[in-house]
Amino acid sequence: MTLAAVLLLMLIGFGAGAFGALAGVGGGIIVTPLLAIYFGLPMHQAIGVTLLCVIATSTATSSLYVERHVTDVRLGMTLELATTVGALIAALVAHHVNRRTLAVLFACFLLYSAGSMIRKAWGSRNEKREESIPEYTPQNYPVGLAASLIAGGFSGLLGIGGGPIKVPVMYLFMKVPLRVAAATSNFMIGVTAATSAYIYWGRGDVRVDIAAPLVAGVFTGSLLGARISPKVRSFYILLLLIGIAGWLSVQMIYKLLTGGFQ
Amino acid sequence: MSRQDLAADRALSLTLKAGAYTAFALIVAGLLLQWATPWGIKVATAGLLVLLATPVLRIVVACIQFFRQHDFKYALVSLGVLSIVVLAYFLGIQT
Repeated sequence: MTLAAVLLLMLIGFGAGAFGALAGVGGGIIVTPLLAIYFGLPMHQAIGVTLLCVIATSTATSSLYVERHVTDVRLGMTLELATTVGALIAALVAHHVNRRTLAVLFACFLLYSAGSMIRKAWGSRNEKREESIPEYTPQNYPVGLAASLIAGGFSGLLGIGGGPIKVPVMYLFMKVPLRVAAATSNFMIGVTAATSAYIYWGRGDVRVDIAAPLVAGVFTGSLLGARISPKVRSFYILLLLIGIAGWLSVQMIYKLLTGGFQ
Repeated sequence: MSRQDLAADRALSLTLKAGAYTAFALIVAGLLLQWATPWGIKVATAGLLVLLATPVLRIVVACIQFFRQHDFKYALVSLGVLSIVVLAYFLGIQT
């Protein structure tokens, strides 16, 4: 692999990690389409590599959030019972789903994520930094577990973290404070992505030459992002990510309509 | 939050940090070595394997912490998650 390609992949990883940590969304969602559209990777390989980026983001940022006691480890562990089952089943099924179908599903999820980021950006226009976390007891475990099963399934099928599904459910139905919900979702995606990554790795769908520079970039980007995130307003970063996600979904749909992703 | 919970958080955070930094160091070393020696890519692969193992290690550490706190309900939950992930690992090397 050439030096230029390694540096470009590191840069993509750095951007995805930093923006993801700063805006509190998974950066993985932009890695898969970039690899599939501009690097010509088959969808299964693009997803396999992204799963490793997701584990890297989760590991790097969770080490900080757990240290700051924002993560609810008990809640995370409980919901992981469902996310891992979903991820395992979906990773086994993904092998039998053809590339175009995966691309269609991914484009739909990309649009949904862009929509949920727009809602988040709207909510964070005049955000004030909440300092302390209010007392809470998680409620409605059945709903949380069901949503986690679905989020885990999407993770195993499309290589994403599933935050846009889990965070709103934890916040709205389980009555968990938003910051705790985001940190806990972030904590869970490492184990969830690892579950399906074992299946992808075993099938040879994880290209080391592409994953290594990406993961190195993601580590640096997400650690830096998580460190400076308390001091940065997420609004403009969210706008940027919405722009990128929107552009990539248009590109994916265009490529699908012109017979790509074979 | 109890003092034991604070200690458990510290142990978990340390595990994640150790995994992240070890994986990062191996990957960067491998990337640099790949132009010098043919086994550079093997070093990078080892880094990615450390990355893949870290979430499992994190479950084990959490499980031990719950046992030490006599919080058997969550120790059992951790064992449940661990068994699913280990099952995935064996299904993965089989395929």
